Amino acid sequence: MQFWYFLTALTLLSALMVVLSKNPIHSVLYLVFTFFCISGHYVLLNAQFLMAVNIIVYAGAIMVLFLFVIMMLDLRRNMPDSKSNLTKLAGAILGGTLLVILVAVMRKTQFPQFSQMGGKFDTQTGMVENLGQVLFRDYLLPFELVSILFFVAMVGAVMLGKREAGERNF
Amino acid sequence: MVSDFGYILLFIITAVTFCAVALGGAFMLRPNRPNIEKLSTYESGEAPDGNASVRFNIRFYIIALLFVLFDVELVFLFPWATVFGNKILIEETDGVWGWFALSEMFIFIGILTLGLAYAWVKGYLDWARPVVKNSNYQSKIPASAYEKINQKY
Amino acid sequence: MNSIIALSLFGIANLFLGFLNNRKILLPATLAFVLVALGLNLADWNQEYLWFNNMLRTNNLSVNFASVILVATFLVVAVSRGFGDDEEHTHPAEYYAIMLFSVVGAIMMVTFENLIMLFVGLEILSVSMYILTGTDKRNLRSNEAALKYFLMGAFATGILLFGIALIYGATGSFNIHGIEALVLTAAGGSAPALLYIGIVMVIIGLLFKVSAAPFHFWTPDVYEGAPAIFTAFMSTVVKTAGFAALFRLLGGAFTGVYGTWIYILYFLTMLTLIIGNITAVYQQSFKRMLAYSSISHAGYLMLTATAKVAHTQSSILFYSLAYSVATISAFAVLMVVAETKESNAEKTNENFDIFNGLAKNNPLLAFVLTVSMLSLAGIPLTAGFWGKFFIFSDAFQRGIVVPLVVAVLMSAVGIYYYFKAIISAYFKEGDVPAIELKPIYKITLIVTTLLTIVLGIAPDLVKSIF
Repeated sequence: MQFWYFLTALTLLSALMVVLSKNPIHSVLYLVFTFFCISGHYVLLNAQFLMAVNIIVYAGAIMVLFLFVIMMLDLRRNMPDSKSNLTKLAGAILGGTLLVILVAVMRKTQFPQFSQMGGKFDTQTGMVENLGQVLFRDYLLPFELVSILFFVAMVGAVMLGKREAGERNF
Repeated sequence: MVSDFGYILLFIITAVTFCAVALGGAFMLRPNRPNIEKLSTYESGEAPDGNASVRFNIRFYIIALLFVLFDVELVFLFPWATVFGNKILIEETDGVWGWFALSEMFIFIGILTLGLAYAWVKGYLDWARPVVKNSNYQSKIPASAYEKINQKY
Repeated sequence: MNSIIALSLFGIANLFLGFLNNRKILLPATLAFVLVALGLNLADWNQEYLWFNNMLRTNNLSVNFASVILVATFLVVAVSRGFGDDEEHTHPAEYYAIMLFSVVGAIMMVTFENLIMLFVGLEILSVSMYILTGTDKRNLRSNEAALKYFLMGAFATGILLFGIALIYGATGSFNIHGIEALVLTAAGGSAPALLYIGIVMVIIGLLFKVSAAPFHFWTPDVYEGAPAIFTAFMSTVVKTAGFAALFRLLGGAFTGVYGTWIYILYFLTMLTLIIGNITAVYQQSFKRMLAYSSISHAGYLMLTATAKVAHTQSSILFYSLAYSVATISAFAVLMVVAETKESNAEKTNENFDIFNGLAKNNPLLAFVLTVSMLSLAGIPLTAGFWGKFFIFSDAFQRGIVVPLVVAVLMSAVGIYYYFKAIISAYFKEGDVPAIELKPIYKITLIVTTLLTIVLGIAPDLVKSIF
């Protein structure tokens, strides 16, 4: 339990640093660290496969994309902070309200204790075998249609990313 | 008795100590006399020019995106591999399960491969090649003169 | 259900038809694909099925919604004319393929039984739309619109997904009938607070997609920046699919806790109506006016989607059909006029004055524009009138007075800005040369106009089927 608190504090801290740090590269590195912390949470939930996936896909592949996007921006030109104080204040109020609501809801919700579940709790839910059985039997159709989603993303990205004659390179 | 997670913890601890000992030992032993040349970034012997934050070409992004898509596709293969040969399921369904699971995955991979094939055939994966310039210059010296010289020497 | 699988395969087939280097076959092929999908869709009529482990449900409601979507797609494809002859800068095979894929997503959003299917369908639809918005790569406005739409849309999808997760946490089920039963038993007061937050978040995510206020800020910029043909597609197919999903959730899964969301939605309905109509009055650009008008139509549809009774479904369907047909013909006229002016090397914009003097040389186009504007404004003898009539009488029967009064007042405001286009076409001086229309284009325009008028005279033809 102490470890859980430690990990959660670390996650929140690094997630805050993603937003607060001025240098986008630092933000990305903090985001990688956040993903590692979330992977730690997956381990605590006994879902090792998701932990590995989180590190491979998010901390590995998606972060590469993030870095590419940042490298496509021109970092040498130092952009002045475009947000006015009013925008920042509005954002802070909105985010803060959502946070308060969510925390209040979580405090009000009664999560069943282990003793109340009559020993029916299955520790193996997060294992890769169970995930496979659920994914390839019950959720067969969404799984196949996700391939259509990937297909659209692939076709669209290569179509939009291809440079063409006469295109403006602003 | 160490649990399974204990082993992982031991590995992490060993890795951290190993790095710390190696780097720390080197730090203790080495002489410390920095100068400008030593502190500059090493770029294969070239003098570094400008800094690293330049704007990249969007072509890299397409490759990276294709990598992510196939990375995600591979991730789906792991849970599939655990249930594909599941004895209980195969016996329950009289062997149909194996074929079912196989075709399921083949459709999924097939659609994504079609996407890759599309990008390939369209030439979106080709790197832009430098254009070879053909000059129309007509030399007064005939080509045979060069060949004579080549044969002579 | 079969239409989903067929459309997925057709989309891939369409993409590879592009390798034949024959732009002529793409348009008829796509039209044929959409027709086959429509046929497969109608084959499910009067049968109630659950597919693939309770992932999809097909019944008459879903068949009707999917048919409206497919008819709108057919009309949009028909007025696209193969995307012109610009070989270098347009990729018709890709555009048609992505349009077909987005219809897959739209039909998933109509037929879903499991919230996972809703999410995947919404993603397919949205990702296709982000791509289609940015297809005019040489136009900075189009680039900006695509990026804006993508960033905001991704955020809204994230909120929807968070909502689904919270609902799962509260009820332990993704299945909307499972959720409905659990919500009904929990509505006595023992419902976990997570459920309410989840419901609100899912509703927010969907309201973003149908561009209801206060989640409408992307709409004018995106509608203006995107190529007109995709704007027409977006404002018809996406809106119908979004409202189908919203109606199925509000009328089914969330009815147990009616009291929590109904007042929020009444308020948002009035806000949407007021913002959409009042802002549309001040627009100079015809496309931006249509964007705000689409916001205001979202308001009218929300008025009915909030009814927890099932019989309002025919009003939503009728309104969606009337709105889609009228919007497509308005965009079709705009496209062909703007293109002609552009090819004459005139400086064009998509303002109202582009239609100045349209009636002199192009009586057919001016008439089509007039009928579509009248239908959108809700003038009698057009389909739009009956659409509004059914919605208002539903609202009257349910006794929701304040939103109804706002809706009636705002539809009076609407008449003003729709008539601006008609006045430009008939009474203002201007010079639009006689435009030679391709046969398929002419036929489509005549069909949409006739459909609007026939539905305006005899609404029961369609209303009795819905």
